Amino acid sequence: MSQTKQSHSEQKQEKTHEYHVASLVAYAMPEQVSDVEAAINAIDGAEIHATSDKGKIVLTIEGDSHKGIGKKMDLLRVHKGLINLSPVYHQVLDEKIDENKEENYQEIK
Amino acid sequence: MTINRREFIKANAVAAAAAVAGVSVPAVASNLITSSDITKLKWDKAACRFCGTGCSVNVGVMDGKVVATHGDIKSPVNKGLSCVKGYFLSKIMYGKDRLTSPLLRMTNGKYDKEGEFTPISWDQAFDVMAEKAKDALKKDGPEALGMFGSGQWTVQEGYAAVKLYKAGFRTNNIDPNARHCMASAVGGFMRTFGIDEPMGCYDDLEAADAFVLWGSNMAEMHPILWTRLTDRRLSAPHVKVAVLSTFEHRSFDLADNGMVFTPQTDLAILNYIANYIIKTGRVNKDFVNKHTNFRLGETDIGYGLRPEHELEQKAKNNGKTKGSSTPISFDEYAKFVSTYTVEYTAKLSGVPEHKLEALAELYADPKIKVTSFWTMGFNQHTRGVWANNLCYNIHLLTGKISTPGNSPFSLTGQPSACGTAREVGTFSHRLPADMVVANPKHRAIAEKIWDLPEGTIPPKPGYHAVLQNRMLKDGKLNFYWVQCNNNMQAAANINEEVYPGYRNPKNFIIVSDPYPTVTAQAADLILPTAMWVEKEGVYGNAERRTQSWYQMVKAPEGAKSDMWQLVEFSKRFNIEDVWPEELIAKKPEVRGKTLFDVLYKDSSVGKFSLDEIPEDRLNDESRDFGFYIQKGLFEEYASFGRGHAHDLAPYDRYHQERGLRWPVVNGKETKWRFKEGSDPYVKPGSGWDFYGKKDGRAIIFALPYEPAAESPDEEYDLWLSTGRVLEHWHSGSMTQRVPELYKAMPDALVYMHPDDAKARGMRRGDLVKLISRRGEVQTRVETRGRNKPPVGLVFMPWFDASRLVNKVTLDATDPLSKETDYKKCAIKIVKV
Repeated sequence: MSQTKQSHSEQKQEKTHEYHVASLVAYAMPEQVSDVEAAINAIDGAEIHATSDKGKIVLTIEGDSHKGIGKKMDLLRVHKGLINLSPVYHQVLDEKIDENKEENYQEIK
Repeated sequence: MTINRREFIKANAVAAAAAVAGVSVPAVASNLITSSDITKLKWDKAACRFCGTGCSVNVGVMDGKVVATHGDIKSPVNKGLSCVKGYFLSKIMYGKDRLTSPLLRMTNGKYDKEGEFTPISWDQAFDVMAEKAKDALKKDGPEALGMFGSGQWTVQEGYAAVKLYKAGFRTNNIDPNARHCMASAVGGFMRTFGIDEPMGCYDDLEAADAFVLWGSNMAEMHPILWTRLTDRRLSAPHVKVAVLSTFEHRSFDLADNGMVFTPQTDLAILNYIANYIIKTGRVNKDFVNKHTNFRLGETDIGYGLRPEHELEQKAKNNGKTKGSSTPISFDEYAKFVSTYTVEYTAKLSGVPEHKLEALAELYADPKIKVTSFWTMGFNQHTRGVWANNLCYNIHLLTGKISTPGNSPFSLTGQPSACGTAREVGTFSHRLPADMVVANPKHRAIAEKIWDLPEGTIPPKPGYHAVLQNRMLKDGKLNFYWVQCNNNMQAAANINEEVYPGYRNPKNFIIVSDPYPTVTAQAADLILPTAMWVEKEGVYGNAERRTQSWYQMVKAPEGAKSDMWQLVEFSKRFNIEDVWPEELIAKKPEVRGKTLFDVLYKDSSVGKFSLDEIPEDRLNDESRDFGFYIQKGLFEEYASFGRGHAHDLAPYDRYHQERGLRWPVVNGKETKWRFKEGSDPYVKPGSGWDFYGKKDGRAIIFALPYEPAAESPDEEYDLWLSTGRVLEHWHSGSMTQRVPELYKAMPDALVYMHPDDAKARGMRRGDLVKLISRRGEVQTRVETRGRNKPPVGLVFMPWFDASRLVNKVTLDATDPLSKETDYKKCAIKIVKV
C-alpha cells in the first residue's frame, strides 16, 4: 500500500483534522482512455487502481475536505474524453484520535 | 500486518469501486490489524435525498455521526454507483449554520413582523402559530390557511400534511413545489392515460435501441441514469442517441444527432414526427385500432397569467373549456398534422431537415425500440401538458409503449416527486391514488378511510403554487406554512409576485428548514428541521419504486422532522376550533378531542405499537408520540391504492428491499404497466390495456404549435432560459448559505454565444445586467464552458441565492397544469 500523497496546495490551506478518501469509476471514451488516465495522474491526491478493457477506470482521490475532493472531481469532469465520473465510496476520518495507541488496534477477519 | 487507518479505508474504497466497475484489483491483505475505531462503522441503506432517480446508498455511522457513504451494490437502480450530488450526502447534515431553535421575528419580547429573529422554545412557537391560525380561521375561514410542501417530503410527511389541511383545517390550499417541476407531466398522464406515472421502468435503459432526450440534460441532472445509458450506447454499437435542447449541453457529447431548436418549437417537431410516421406508412394500425382514440383539443388557451394581463384578455379559450376536447377520426388527425412538413418544421425550429428526418425515423422504424426521456424542457412550458400529450402520440401511433425498451419516460427532479407529491396527492386538487377533491365519490372514499363524517373535505380545489403567491400578495391567504423547499428562490417573478406576499403585514409566514435559506429569512417564524437519515421515511422515485429507510442518527438538539412538527402542532386544535357544529354533529364522539386524536392517534394511523420498532433503532417521533407513526401513516395511506392499481407492499417489507415498483400484487412488483404478462391489472387477452380510461384506450391528441407567452423583440432581444447546473448542487448549496437575500457574489454566470457577446461589446468575465420587463439581475458573462447557447439565447442557472434570476423570469404558466415556464422569456443584456 503506497504512502498517501499530499498535495502542496492542500498543505498551504488551513489544516483540518480530517482525512477524506473517495473512490470513483471514470468512464472514458474507448479511444481516449490513455488521455483520461494522464489527466487523472496530473491531479494531486488522485491515484488509478485499475482500468478495464471497456474504458472504466477505478481511482481514488484523497484530501482534507469534502469540498477539496469535489473540486478535483470538477477538474476531471471537464475533460472531453470523459463521459461520466461516478463516485462510489466516501469516508472521512477524524484524525484527532491518537493513531499510535496500541489498544486502538484489532485484527480484522 | 498493521496498516494505518488511512490505508484501511482507502482499501475499502478501492474494493467498492472495483466491484462496481467489474474489474479486479490486487487483493487486500487479509487478517489486517487496524485501528479499532474505524471498524465500529454501522452500515444501513437509505434512499438518496437529492434527485428523482432514487439511488440507494449505504450510510456508515460512527459515534452518532454519518462518516461514510457508498453506492449500494444491491440496488437495481444505481448498482453501486453514486453521483457527485450523492458524494455530498453525508455533508448536508453537518453545515455550520444548521438551525437548532425556532426563531421568531420579535421586538421587545413580542412578535413583530418587522422585528429581529429571536430564539424561542417550540412551545412558544406553536403558541404563536396556533393563535395566528385560529385568528385567520375566525376572520376569513379555512381558505385563509395554506401550506407549500415538497417532493422532498417523505411519503409520511406529505400524507400527515394532507390529512391535517384537507380534513383537519378543511382547506385544499396545500400544494407541493413539485408543481414547478411535475405538474405538466401529471396533466399529460391523466389526459392521455387517465392514470399517473410512467408505464416503463429503468430496465428500458438496457433494452432500447435508441434514446431521445427532449429537454433533458441527463448527463448532469440524472448522472446515474446517464451512466446506464452510456453503458448501453458503448456496449451495443447499433444504439443511437438523439438529444434536443434550446442550447447545447453536456449530454450532446454522446449524441449521434444533437439538435438545438428555437424555444417552443418542440411542439411543431413532435407533430412533424407524427406526420412523418403517417406519411411513410408506418402507423401500427392494429395497435391504434385496438388501443387508442383520437381527439381534437381546445386551442388558444392563454398563458396562466393574472386575468387582467393583456395575453389573457386576448386568449379566446382560457376559461373552463381550456382542457376540453372532441372526438375525431384517424383521417382527421392525419389531416391536422399534415401541415407539419419537414420544410415548415425546419424553418420554424431552426433544426436542419436531415436531422429532423433522422429523428423521425427512430420512431417510425418498427425495428427500433425507442425510449424518450424528458424533464423540465417539456414540463416547464406554457404548453407543457400538450408537449407530454404529443410525445405519447408518437409512441402510441407506432405501438412503441409498455414493452422493454419502448418507453415514453417522464423523469422527475426530486426524490419523492412521484411518491409524495403525486401518489400521496399533496396537490391542491388531489387526494391519494390519483383521486381529486372535486369528485364527490373520491371525497367519500377518503372520508371513509379517514373515518370522518361526510362533507369533511371541501370540494373546491385550493390555491396552487403560483396562485398561493398571488393570494399572499393580495392578502387572501394569511396563515402560510412552507416546508422542505426554497420557494423565494425557486418561484418566478420574485420581485412582483413572491416577496411582497411574504412581507404583507396581514400574513403570518412559517418556514421549516434545516438551514437559513432565503425563504426562511423572508418568514416571520423559522422552525429548525431534521433531515434525511435523522428521521425514518419513504420516498417514491421516477420508476414507481417505493423505498424506505430507518432513522440512523439523531438530529441536532432542537431540530425536529417536518412530520413531527405537523403532528405536534395538531395537538393545539380542538375539533371545535376548526369544524362547524353541523359537521361535528354528524360524528359527536369527536367532541372535545384534538386534531391529534382525531387525525392521528385514534385513527388507523395510531394502531401500530412501539414494540414493532426494532429495539436498537432510533425513532424519535414514534417514541415521542407513543406509537409507530411512520408505519401507521404509511399503512393508512397505502389502503387508498390497494386493489386500485396503486398497490403498495406491507410497510415492513420495504425495510428489507431496495425498493419495489408499484403496483405490487401478490408480493410481486410491476415493471411495465398496461401490457399483458407484465401488469396484473391488464384484462387477459387484450394485449395492452390502458385501464386508466374506462374503455381501456389511450388518447392521441390533435394539438397545434402555439407561440410562447413572450418572445424576443427589438428591445428585449434575447431568449432567456433557466435551469439547474450540477455545480450548484455539488458546491454545497445545502450547506453554503448566504446571510442576506441579495448579497452580491458572482456564482451563477450567464452563458452566451461569443457572437452575442461581441455584438454587445462584452467579453468573458464582464459584469452585466440581465433586464426584463419585470426586473434585473447582475452577473458575469461566460462564453465558454459546457453550456453552449446558440446566437439569440442565453442560459442562466437559478440555483444561486446570490443571483436570483427569477427576479427576471415571467410567471406565465401552463393553463392546464399551472406549472411555470422557466425556460422562455425575453430579456436584454447591458454592460454594468
